[in-house]
Amino acid sequence: MSDQDTVKRHHFHKANRSLQAYAFFFMFVLYAPIMFIPLFSFSSGLYIRFPIDGWTLQWYGDLWERTAVLNALKNSVRVGVSVAIVSTILGIFAAKALVRYRIPGKGPIIGFILLPLVVPPIIFGVALLLMVNALGIPLSLYTIAAGHIIICLPFAIATLLPRFEGYDAAMEEAAADLGENSWWVFWRVTVPIILPGIVASLLLTFTVSFDEFVMAFFLGGTDLTLPLYVWGQLRIPRAFPVVLALGTLILLFSFLLVFLGLRIGRRGAIKLVDRD
Amino acid sequence: MKIPQMISEAKRGKLSRRAFTQSLLAVGIVPVMSQVAPRAASASSGHATVFTWGGYDVPEMYQPYIDKHGELPDFSIFGAPEDGLTRLRSGFVTDLIHPCMGDIPRWRRTGLFQPIDTSRLSSWPDVIEYLHDTPHNHEDADGGVWQVPFDWGQTSITYRTDLYELEGEESWDILWDERYAGRIGMLATGDDAWWCAAIKAGVPFEDIATDEAFEAISAVLREQRPLVRTYTDDTSSLNQALASGELVAAMTWNSSAVELVYEEVPVRFAQPKEGALTWVCGFMMHKDAPAPDRAYDVLDALISVPTGEFLTGDYGYGHSNGKVLDLFTDEELAALTLTRDPAELLEAGHRTIPQEPEWTSRMNTTYEQIKAGF
Amino acid sequence: MTVTSELNAPAGADKTAFAGLRRLFFQNESLRGLVLLTPTLVILSITVIVPFLLMGAMSLWTQIGFDYTDDWSFRNYGIILTEPLYTTLLLRSLGMSMAATLVTVMLAYPMAYFLAFHVQKNKLIWLIIITLPFWTSYLLRVFAWRVVLGYEGVINTGLMEIGLISEPLSFLLYSKSAVIITLAHAWAAFALLPIYVSLEKIDKSVLEASADLGEGPVMRFLRVILPLSMPGVIAGTFLMFIPTVGDYVTAALVGGPDSRMIGNLIELQFGTVDNWPMGAALAITMIISITMVGLLFMVLSRLLKRWVAA
Repeated sequence: MSDQDTVKRHHFHKANRSLQAYAFFFMFVLYAPIMFIPLFSFSSGLYIRFPIDGWTLQWYGDLWERTAVLNALKNSVRVGVSVAIVSTILGIFAAKALVRYRIPGKGPIIGFILLPLVVPPIIFGVALLLMVNALGIPLSLYTIAAGHIIICLPFAIATLLPRFEGYDAAMEEAAADLGENSWWVFWRVTVPIILPGIVASLLLTFTVSFDEFVMAFFLGGTDLTLPLYVWGQLRIPRAFPVVLALGTLILLFSFLLVFLGLRIGRRGAIKLVDRD
Repeated sequence: MKIPQMISEAKRGKLSRRAFTQSLLAVGIVPVMSQVAPRAASASSGHATVFTWGGYDVPEMYQPYIDKHGELPDFSIFGAPEDGLTRLRSGFVTDLIHPCMGDIPRWRRTGLFQPIDTSRLSSWPDVIEYLHDTPHNHEDADGGVWQVPFDWGQTSITYRTDLYELEGEESWDILWDERYAGRIGMLATGDDAWWCAAIKAGVPFEDIATDEAFEAISAVLREQRPLVRTYTDDTSSLNQALASGELVAAMTWNSSAVELVYEEVPVRFAQPKEGALTWVCGFMMHKDAPAPDRAYDVLDALISVPTGEFLTGDYGYGHSNGKVLDLFTDEELAALTLTRDPAELLEAGHRTIPQEPEWTSRMNTTYEQIKAGF
Repeated sequence: MTVTSELNAPAGADKTAFAGLRRLFFQNESLRGLVLLTPTLVILSITVIVPFLLMGAMSLWTQIGFDYTDDWSFRNYGIILTEPLYTTLLLRSLGMSMAATLVTVMLAYPMAYFLAFHVQKNKLIWLIIITLPFWTSYLLRVFAWRVVLGYEGVINTGLMEIGLISEPLSFLLYSKSAVIITLAHAWAAFALLPIYVSLEKIDKSVLEASADLGEGPVMRFLRVILPLSMPGVIAGTFLMFIPTVGDYVTAALVGGPDSRMIGNLIELQFGTVDNWPMGAALAITMIISITMVGLLFMVLSRLLKRWVAA
């Protein structure tokens, strides 16, 4: 071991080879399994096996001939958009309240809102099913959306909280001092400043709802969402390659949305887990 | 930028609105939102919804319906009909659902179904009377039926002729063969497995509700459990596992064997010496069916001759329309392990007997325990 | 709700009627905050608290055939506690998700360490790429493992192609290890982020001080970094352990008869078995056991901390 300074620099600033190798290995293991879905979606064989005999785009073509896929897509988008809008609006109010005002019991309230993040979704699914059934409400896309709002709210709030924390309340006050009413101040001053948070929250909550399966499984009616459709199709061998093609598109779409959402939301995603 | 300046910018709309719409446009939310009008969530397509097994949602089975309405009906898929019934009892509404004949009296007790007016089905006169003419199906049905029969067949064993070494006659013992521990597949629903185990245990179906029968059947299933690689309702998994040799034998319906034979996998659909489990399944109509007229069109399509030809030729199931059987030669039917007279096949095997709901819960609970290893 | 409508009242509404309320509203900070929180709290109460109470009530009923008896009893809980099926599956679920959590935390720690100390540029991009899969379709990610581990899956056909094995390895799929691997993979980001955050927070000058005291990298890690990052490790453990106990999709897709979890059993009560009161009782038992394990873990980590400090 040489000079202490070199050790220090070596340890803190220079890349550690083996650690770097490990990091790339970690990323590889994280992504490799997922990548097999796109890979085999281009394989011409019915079954998933190596070596791949031939390549085809046939399954993607078949996809568009299935009205059921398009219907499920429409349903998922419908649920996702409504859930994203509702949970983001609720998230804006709640985040503002939690950051701006002194509220008794703030800690427990945040805990309560973030609770669905850790409670197994099957519990919420089952509990909501019981209530919906007791009230005689038919299962539909609405009941799925209700379930999704519970799990999307924590994401919305966690994305929006840092935005409110990050800006100067003096601006709102200044606007209010200029004699503007609070609604105007909110719309013209607050919203533009927290806009990136809003967009991030919309994108992230949409994706969470779009990809959610367990709640939809318990709360879904006859109108299927995409994950429910995929679940049903997993049972049929002939449908398999088409499911892979569909899965590829879902993954691609979700990755894109989340990437955008996280880029725009910046600190939110990391803050998410930093507050318990 | 100073704060008052920013506010005046914002007030003139420079900062806020443009930025807002632009970012929304950028992510495509505006175009999507304009598509999303709050609409009634139920069956928005206007089509009838059919609640059935996976594999029954293919266009070949609904051609007359497609000709009339341009598209397939909507589908919901269950793993097993009992699963489907639980969902219907929890407020899930579909127009049609696909249980088997032995379920009719018990299902009717839920009050969730309406009798089907057979005079509205153009192919009804061709439906084999033997398949629907049971007292449970006709009583209180206002001259109609509770269930329109659709498919009939056997639950038996599909085994690999190259990998499984058969000793003596074909028998249910194949699924209990310790030489092939870890390479046996079982259906996950008690609807099939419990009754097949009763045949294996030698329990007469009339006695199946007794405590002794429960003991005997449980014992047989427990004995089998260490040999079983997977319990599943997912015929896709079973077929693929049989094709790859992961399993050498599995409890299946006719279709698995037929599909594997088409793929040139060396398999046989066994005709066990103790007799196979035989069944007739069909469609019942929900009392609150949202699209009853179209549901009748679906039923008529299902019992039509072209559908039957597909069902028998491609899936290997018997079809309820008598004219379908005329399209196949005796050799073809024998190859599909079907008979020209459904009664011959159905009575050669064992047919399930309707049971009380309490029996069904006890049976399902016990089977789940056994599957989990208890 | 006068207060809420006040908030939404357009400018120029009849102010005199609400003047008193309005003054109160603007002067009282907590009140304004609570009003903003109301919609969220109301919705969460309706969708979380009410259903939970209902679930508790239903767990005290008994299913007979298609009907429930409405006498209240702890019969279902009695069955859960005495029948080996339920206790075994519950313990197995706790054990399996504990194993998955341990694996994940151990594998994620070096990665988080790398991110916190060795990545200078594009940190955000790294973080995004790591968390990306976590946000997207759980069903498809689990399903992907079926593709990988299957009898004719990627690993088996790959190994056979290179000639390492002559017959597919059958233990890969339908096994406990398959479930544990899949869970570990699916929840990796959940465990990684808190560890990263706690490492990131460590004041670099503390490390330099430790180096100045002549401690080597190993000692420095054990005496400074590891203890300081423990809160993150504990948070990560919790965040992953709790939701995975109730998982049922993974066991359903990649598990075998011996790796069924309590979630599968709950799902069955609401499906084939059709015994909702039992399903409700199982769900509640599961929550209680998770809470108990969580508390135990918390006490242990407190003790550990004290022991380390001493």
